[in-house]
Parts: sequence; structure tokens; C-alpha cells
Amino acid sequence: MNKIKSFFSSLIKKDSTKTVVTSLWCALIGLILGFLILLVINPSNAAYGMTSVLGNYLIFSSPTDRLNYFGQTLAKTAPLIAMSLSILVSYKAGLFNLGASGQYSIAVLVICLLGAGANWPWYIVMIIAMIAAAIWSALTGLLKAFFNVNEVISGIMLNWIALYLVNGILSNAGESIWDGAHSESVAITSSSNSFIPSIGLDKLFAGNSIAGLGMILILIVVIIIFILLKKTTVGYELKATGLNSDAARYAGISKVKSILIATAISGALAGLAASLSLQNGFTSWRLSSVPPEIGFQGISSAFLGGLHPIGIIFSSYFIIHITEGGSMITDLGFSPETASIMTSVIIYLSGFVFFIKEVMRKYEIKNELNMLSRNKENKV
Amino acid sequence: MSAVLFLLAFVSILTIVALGGMFSEKSGTVALSLEGCMTFGAFNAGMVMYVLPNTVPAGISALIVILVAIVSAGLYSLLLAVACVTFKANQTLVGTALNILATALAVVLIKQITKTEALPVGNSRLSFMRFYEIFNVNFFGMQGVRFNWLILIALVLVPIIYVVIYKTRFGLRLSSCGENPSSADSLGINVNKTRYIGILLSGMLAGFGGLFLITMNSEWEFANGATGFGYLALAVLIFGQWKPLYILLGALIFSGFKTLSVFYSSINFLEKLGISSYFYLALPYVVCLIVLIFTSKKNVGPKALGEPYDKGKR
Repeated sequence: MNKIKSFFSSLIKKDSTKTVVTSLWCALIGLILGFLILLVINPSNAAYGMTSVLGNYLIFSSPTDRLNYFGQTLAKTAPLIAMSLSILVSYKAGLFNLGASGQYSIAVLVICLLGAGANWPWYIVMIIAMIAAAIWSALTGLLKAFFNVNEVISGIMLNWIALYLVNGILSNAGESIWDGAHSESVAITSSSNSFIPSIGLDKLFAGNSIAGLGMILILIVVIIIFILLKKTTVGYELKATGLNSDAARYAGISKVKSILIATAISGALAGLAASLSLQNGFTSWRLSSVPPEIGFQGISSAFLGGLHPIGIIFSSYFIIHITEGGSMITDLGFSPETASIMTSVIIYLSGFVFFIKEVMRKYEIKNELNMLSRNKENKV
Repeated sequence: MSAVLFLLAFVSILTIVALGGMFSEKSGTVALSLEGCMTFGAFNAGMVMYVLPNTVPAGISALIVILVAIVSAGLYSLLLAVACVTFKANQTLVGTALNILATALAVVLIKQITKTEALPVGNSRLSFMRFYEIFNVNFFGMQGVRFNWLILIALVLVPIIYVVIYKTRFGLRLSSCGENPSSADSLGINVNKTRYIGILLSGMLAGFGGLFLITMNSEWEFANGATGFGYLALAVLIFGQWKPLYILLGALIFSGFKTLSVFYSSINFLEKLGISSYFYLALPYVVCLIVLIFTSKKNVGPKALGEPYDKGKR
């Protein structure tokens, strides 16, 4: 009995447990606020609307539909995980990757040209897209390392430059790449060489072809990033630079090298996100006047996941789950962006995680001191 | 002529919002939420413009709209202040969250009020033709040349802000909180209170900028927020090196290229070059990046920028 008790108390004291608990609290408060908004907008449908948001695929009665939409939710989670990892890696090196949208856009350009246009094999398209995004992202790193340009600002500027570059090239790219009537790029279909193969996973999810190898790939990438940050010298150097770049330099770690590696890796991951969302045919590039939103969504799920690769899997799933659920409430007279309100409230609240953890720690120390003094009294 | 007025309006918006950001950053808080504050102020003002009856006289309704934009964006910026000053949250994270939240809130609520029988979920576009005519008057009686008189307010605000930041006790105290909060605190300045005021001022000016931006048009698509203006203002602030006059200069350079991207087709020789319009659209950002390369080498920003003030570290 005591053993179990001490196991639980040590579990509670662990930093990661605190992160999970506080993240869950943030999510809960965000959902409650979202429900209140639904109540204000349309009280009679609010309860059903909230069930749809939370239930997502579970609200369907037929098991095939459920499986189908479950597969879709999982497949859409994969790019967000990649995006969050992109934010995570640069954050560990002390950089805020606000330029992820731009890196994503550049990868989209490569995928449309080589995938929809030239019909190259999927893995080659994916790798080149990742390399292109990594180079684009390393620009931010170069500017930071050699010219001391604030990475947040250069990232934002590069987002807009990438946006216009991609819009400009794709909208003049010819019929096989650009669908002028709908002003969006031609989607990659399952018959194309550039389509990420399903390896039978589509049958598992009631024939939903967007579920495929990508979902497995991303789990491997999560493990690679986890090992990279935790067990390798490169990861150690990144984190050292992020924590205290002066101390890192004193220990012989090159700041320039760390910054370049971190930005390149995070760019490659943003490119992977583009590949995982375009090369299975469920998204295409739309002519837009603002950079793609996914870059900012990545920030949400990276922080909600407690800045940990494993946590990111769950937070990304959660965000996609309620976003997908949110897209189903249009029939009820609610706009799908309600889910986006919920997620942004959750990110806002996750800013308080540090403070809450600090309070929990203080409370614990106080408790321990009390226990110690009580033990002393007993002995006396 | 209209290109000149466009340029002037653009410079005014960027300068006002960047100067707003300056209050926040000079006191030590990163002003990433400018975009969100602009959107939120513009959204509230837009709602008022949408619902205010025609019977209210033009002067009074303009005043109401301006006040709504400023006050609502000010209140919104307090969300940043509470999280980042009192609870020491990560400033970039909270700023990003507030930017997404402002757009999402605006879209959801506007879709709600614009929905009809035929359109169960409305669209996120608000139109306010009457107010376009109130804010954009004929330039000195010239027919067809529209002039947004908010430019005049902006022109008055710039020297006032300059004096406040450099010549008043408040301005100097504000800067000290961003440079060295510990010594400011030891001299009896309430660091957190000063930062709250800095953030509040930045929110209010961003709200004014947001209103200004949407009244340049007779309707606005809120799904695009403030179309990245808040981020641009932040960039102008940084390459203006946190100094009002340089900010004005930076805004002028950027707006010049932005104006070019809108009016290039009416310039004969540029039209003949036949370069894609996307090139001109991207040009302001490229120029901005190049200027940043040359001006960032020396780190001239507030020294304690981005760090929550911790009394225990004194």
C-alpha cells in the first residue's frame, strides 16, 4: 500500500505530470469558454453543437462513417505534428519559428511542381520539398547568425515573400498544376506517383484513401526528434545554445552552427507538414492574401503539448479533433471558426502553465516542510 | 494624386501602430499582439458601423466609432498585460494566441450577425458604405479625390508621442522599465504598473490603426484579420530602432513600395516591363528584410525586452 502511495506521490511531483495536468486544465477551460460562446449564439443548439465538436467522428451512427472520419482525423493530425515539431526544435535552440508558414509554402510550391506537375515518385518529392523548406528556413538562421536579425521579424517577412512567390509561380503554372477556375492547385490523386501510398491502411479506415503511410512516417519522425533532442550531441548543443548561448559558447559550442542546424531541421519539418497534407490529396494550395494558418496552429499544439515530442502527438490530435468537429457544426448555424476560438483560448491559457507549475511547486515545498516539522515534534 | 493620398494613409497607419508598439516594447514587453489588437479594434468599430442607425449625425457617429475602436483594443491588450506582466507568460506565445483569437472571434460573431434565412452561417465580410463616406471626404473640395481625414489625427499624434516618450517624466520612466527594470524599481518606479500602461497605450493606438485601415475601404473581410499590418508595424518598429523619427522613415520606405505594388500598372515604363504583379507585392517585404540586415548588427533594442520582471532577481 505504501509503495503504491509513494509511487503516486513521486508521479505527482514529476515535472512532466504537472505539465500534463496543467495542459488538461487549459484545455478544459478553453472548451468551457467555447461552449459559452455557442450558448450565446444559439442556446437551443449549443449542447448538440458542443457534442459535435467534442465527438467529431463519434457522432456518426454507422461504424463505417466513424472509421472513415477517424482515419481522416488521424491523417490530418500528421502534418500538424510535423509543424509542432518544427516549432519545438527551433524553440529548444532559443528561436521562435514564426516563419513556419513560409517554409510550408515553399514546400507546397515544390510539391505542386514536382508532384502534380511532373509526377515524380512520392519519396523524392517529399525529400526535395523538405530540403527546399530547410534552405528557406536556414535563411532566417543565416540572418540571425551573421546579421543579428530578429528571427521573429525575418520569419514574418519571409512568410509574405514565400506567399507571393508561391501564388505568383503557381497561378501561372499551366493546367496540370493550377486549376484556374477554382483558383487552387490541382490536388494529387491516389493514382499519381507522388501520392503517399496507403499500404493497406485505407482498408483499415473504411476505404479512406488519405489515411496511409504518412501516419506511420510521422510517428517515426517523432521518435527521431525525441532521440535527437534527448540523446545526441547535436541535440545537447541546440538545447545548450537555447538555454544560455554565452555559456554554450564558453563550453565550445558554436552558436552559428547550432542556429543553422536548428533552423534547417525545423524548416525540413515544416516541409514535411506540407508533404503530409498535400501528397495524400486532401488539401491543395488556394490563392490567399494571408500566409497559411498551419504555421500558427503549430505553435498552439507545440506549447499545449508541453514542448515535448510525445506530448505533441496528443495535443495535435486534440486540436485537429476539435477543429474537425468544428467543421461539422455549420448545419447547426455555427461557424467552424468556433473551434479556432477554443484553441486560441487554450494557447493563451497555456502561457500560464509556468506560473501554475511554480505555484504547485511552492505548495509542495510548504507541505514537505510542514511534514518535516511535524515529524520532529513527534520525535520530541 | 490618389497614389500620394494612399501613400500618406499607409504611412500614417504604419507609423501610428508602430509607435503604439514602441510604448509596449520600450517598457519591456514584445508587441507581437499588435495584429490582434488592430483586428479586435477594427472588428468592434466595424460592428458599430454596421448597426448604428443612419439617424445618428455623422460627426457623433464618427466619434463613437473612434472611441469604440480605441477602448475595445485597449481592453483587449490588457489580456496580454495580465498574462505577460502579472503571470510572466511567454510573450511571443501569448501574442500569437491573441492574434488568432481576435480573428476567430471577429469571424464567428460577424458570421452570426450577417446570416440570413438563405445563408444559415453568414459570411465574414462587413460593409459600411455610409462610414466610408464619413471618413473619406473630398480632398479640398476636389471631386473624385478621396482623402481619409484620420490622416490628420495621425499627423497630430506623431509629434505628441515624440514629446511624451522623450520629454516627459512618464516617457523616461517607461524607457527605464525596458532598459533596466531592477534599477527602475529601486528608484521607486512601479515596473509592472508602467508596463501595464505601456501595453494599454499600444493596444489603443493599434485599435485606432485598425479602424483607420478598414475605413480606407467600404467593406472588410475579417477572415484576413488586419492583413498582416500588425506584423508589418512590428517590423517597422524594429528597423526604426525603437526611435520615433526612424519609425516614420521606415514606414515611409515600406509604404512607398507598397504604394508601388498597387499603382505600378499606371506607371508607363513599369507596365511595359511586364513583370508579374506578385513581384511588386513581395517587394516591400524584400526591401524590409534587406534594410533589417543593415540595421540589426548593433543590438539597440530595449535591453530587458521580452523578460518578465522578477523582483527576486534584483
